[in-house]
Amino acid sequence: MSTNQKPGPVVNEWARPYWDYAKQNKFCLQQCNDCGKHIFYPRIACPHCGSSDVKWVEVSGKGRIYSYTVVENNAPSAFQADVPYVVAIIKLEEGVQLLSNVVECDPYQLEFDMPVEVVFEKLDEEVTLPKFRPVKG
Amino acid sequence: MSSLKNKVAIVGIGEVPTGRFPEKAAIYHAIESARLAIADAGISKDDIDFVMPTASLYSSQFNTELVTCRIPEELGLKNAHTNCQIFAGGSSGSCFLSMAGSLINSGVAKYVLCAHAERLGTGVTAQGGIDLFSQAGISVEWEVPYGQHYSSIAAMSTGRYLHETGCTDEHMAAVCVSNRKWAELNPNAAFRKPLSLEEVLSSKMLSTPLRAKQSNMLFDGGSAFIITSAERARDLTDRPAYLLGTGGRVTHFAFSQEPDVTRFGWAQAGKDAFEEAGITPQDVDVAEIYDSYPIYQIIGLEELGFCGRGEAGELFLKGDTWPGGKLPCTTNGGMLSQGHTGAGGGVALIVEAARQLMGKAGDRQVPGARFAVETGTGGTYMDAQVSVLGTEIV
Ligand SMILES: [Zn+2]
Repeated sequence: MSTNQKPGPVVNEWARPYWDYAKQNKFCLQQCNDCGKHIFYPRIACPHCGSSDVKWVEVSGKGRIYSYTVVENNAPSAFQADVPYVVAIIKLEEGVQLLSNVVECDPYQLEFDMPVEVVFEKLDEEVTLPKFRPVKG
Repeated sequence: MSSLKNKVAIVGIGEVPTGRFPEKAAIYHAIESARLAIADAGISKDDIDFVMPTASLYSSQFNTELVTCRIPEELGLKNAHTNCQIFAGGSSGSCFLSMAGSLINSGVAKYVLCAHAERLGTGVTAQGGIDLFSQAGISVEWEVPYGQHYSSIAAMSTGRYLHETGCTDEHMAAVCVSNRKWAELNPNAAFRKPLSLEEVLSSKMLSTPLRAKQSNMLFDGGSAFIITSAERARDLTDRPAYLLGTGGRVTHFAFSQEPDVTRFGWAQAGKDAFEEAGITPQDVDVAEIYDSYPIYQIIGLEELGFCGRGEAGELFLKGDTWPGGKLPCTTNGGMLSQGHTGAGGGVALIVEAARQLMGKAGDRQVPGARFAVETGTGGTYMDAQVSVLGTEIV
């Protein structure tokens, strides 16, 4: 807990493809072959219909900022050097949502519902984290 | 589904002060609270047949002691047949009522001792507390790597709510001021000095738009209560706190999976609880609404139907929720002013609801309180638990 090393994701085996794709700078989600819905985070079976017939598909990586905050103080130890940093919930075009950081921006110019797109940030040799930046123009 | 309505009641409450007590072992807070609750109920310790501790977060060693019968041994309970932990984070108090109530109603238990103790104030460092709560209840695969923690969570609820409703930082700060006014009257509260809007609004920014004085602080403390059947309750006291209705909804584990971080499941949970009780929010004399951060107390009042969307802030600002106001709210001062003791924040609200109904709230007694509502939510606001209690069977 007292270490300042950034925590990487503790990866479940069935989510491994998500992180492997991210390492190749590809943003992929599970999609259900039975009900057709996209799934996030990765599951062993579709949370919408219960089917275990799911596949991996590359998706747009585009979405909107549902909510966000600029962390200025009292950050977790490993993130204290990063303040101010943005934590946000992104609603993707595919209808699922996820937590991420919004980067490559002035944190104080962000807005709710602003369009964003995925970028990839290498944490170390093992892990690349999908993050988001405002769509230009 | 069989209802607990009118079947069970709280007959005794106990609580120790919330604060920093480096000289006191964690077990003290449980044992002293339990002793006070047993004395308040006017029963013998040996009447208790079921001990139901909730969890402590500061130490897995201490938590295991709670699981492995330390409370019955410390108290010398001769007739306890079971010691079994119930834990749902901040919902633990609400779950005590439904779980212990079910055991009473089914005849499995006669007198259940529900107890909590925590040492998050002196058992961990300040940064240790922040780091603990940047992992506890937060997905280590999907959120921890992005620097998520409870301030950023509350900030994202607050920001989106302000965006959708047009409410202001002042409305959020007003919740802190209201809770402090109650805490000034609460000898067990950690913070008892008057607090102004200006102080809240000028305190350090944590995660925009959430400021330091809009954040709970972690403390040591404990609380306990005794629950039994409505029949036995009537023999013990003229004024038990009867359970009239409950409602609940589970909405998410990972905060980012919650579709509406400004509503959650409160509307449905509240509707179920009020319908079972057969009363409406207008009948409620005291609303013990779970805070931990101001936004959640505002959402709670609005979604339960005490006022419309975007209107709760004005109630806090105008003083309707203050001592002497029309809608006394979170009358122990809540986690923002009595102090946050982990699962105990919710247990303390149950104890406070019972205290008000039993007429034992001293300087902060709401005169003639007949109906109380209590809410609890655990983890990253993963669920919505609502309990309606009253001084009489309805
Ligand atoms: Zn499906």
